This record gives sequence, C-alpha cells and structure tokens, in this order.
Amino acid sequence: MIVAKGAITDYIPHREPFVMVDNLLGATRERFESDFKVREDNVLVQDGYFQETGLIEHIAQTCAASFGYLDASEGGEPKVGFIGAVSKVLVHELPPVGVTIRTVVTPMHQLGNIYLVKGESSLDGRILLGCELKIVVSE
Amino acid sequence: MYANDVKMSWEEVIEETRDFLSEEFEVDRDSILPENSLKDTLDLDSLDYVDLVVLIDENLNVKLTGEDFKGIVTFGDFYQLIRQKLAL
Repeated sequence: MIVAKGAITDYIPHREPFVMVDNLLGATRERFESDFKVREDNVLVQDGYFQETGLIEHIAQTCAASFGYLDASEGGEPKVGFIGAVSKVLVHELPPVGVTIRTVVTPMHQLGNIYLVKGESSLDGRILLGCELKIVVSE
Repeated sequence: MYANDVKMSWEEVIEETRDFLSEEFEVDRDSILPENSLKDTLDLDSLDYVDLVVLIDENLNVKLTGEDFKGIVTFGDFYQLIRQKLAL
C-alpha cells in the first residue's frame, strides 16, 4: 500500500460522503491499483448493492488518486481532473454492502491533458465492471 | 508499410484510413477528401481526438501526440502527417 485511507484525501479533491476509494495499493505511469470497502451508508448504495455509477466513480477516483500521488512524487501539485466520457461499460455483477472491492486501472493513451484509461473492478477474482474512461486533467 | 500484417501501398493506406474513419465517426466515406476539413468533416471535439489517435495507432501502428495536430487542418495535412510518421 502506498497511500492509506486516512491520507487519500491528500491526493483527491473529493470529500465525504463522496470519497469512493480507500487505499491506493500501487501507482506507476503504467498501472494504478486501489481498494474500497462498500459501506451501508454510501450514497451510491441502493437496495444493499453498490451501483454501477459508484463503481465507475470509484475507478475515476482511483485515477485521480494515482495521478495526484505521481504528481506529488515528482514534486508537483495534484491537479483537478474530471470524467470526460465513459465507454465500453460491461457490468457483470454489483458488489453487496460489506465487501472490499479491488480495482486496476491501465492508462492506454494520452493526448495533451486527456487520458484514455481502462478500468476493471473485481471481487475475489471475479470481474464486477469494466469500462474505459476519458479523464481530462486541468492544466 | 504494414497494416494489420498486410503489406500496403501508400494509396491503400489512405483508402483503409478512409474506411475506418467513416465507420468509426459515422460519416460518408465520400466526404473524406484531401481538401476537406478533418475537424469539421468528422465533427471532432477535443475528446474525439483521443479516439482518432487510438484508431490510427490500432490500424496503422502510428503513435500521434497533441503536438502533431498543430497545423493539421485538412485530411491532406493529416495524410502527410501519417506519411511522415511512417517514413514513406
């Protein structure tokens, strides 16, 4: 683990109740990895399950935390980013309250300040949701 | 050059490029002409340029950056850029 839950908000602009990433497990320019425990009071839980929107937001915040961590590691300031587009979403199952999901994000292309990334969240080795995101990072 | 492991002439590269651009951006293939505007014809916004870069990489194995697009207005300009990258 490179950033623990208590310090994650040092690297992302999000604040409770909209923090959707717990621990940053790894971050290189080629691969980001995080985890997140689904709690009953999460605003994106419905009928006992973390919704697709929550999983996509979790993947986006994994990117935000990783970019922030890498920027800070290189002596820069974390930048604000936002989701520009979501595509190729495949939902296999939704995680129930109480579990901890794990997410891997792979940056695929960069054009200026826009990053195309592929994200996949899983639970006990089973893929929950995969998608591609265009993340726009402020310059 | 080689695209998808098949040796292609420059003319074939252009025709293949017209094929995948018209399919991906859902525009009439006949509108993809050297004198026409790349941005206007494909109706590109800044996010769409990422899709264009991905397409060119996947189909022609050419990697483009944001800097490469400076001065690119028409398809003719764009083809020349690709040709330079392919060193043809």
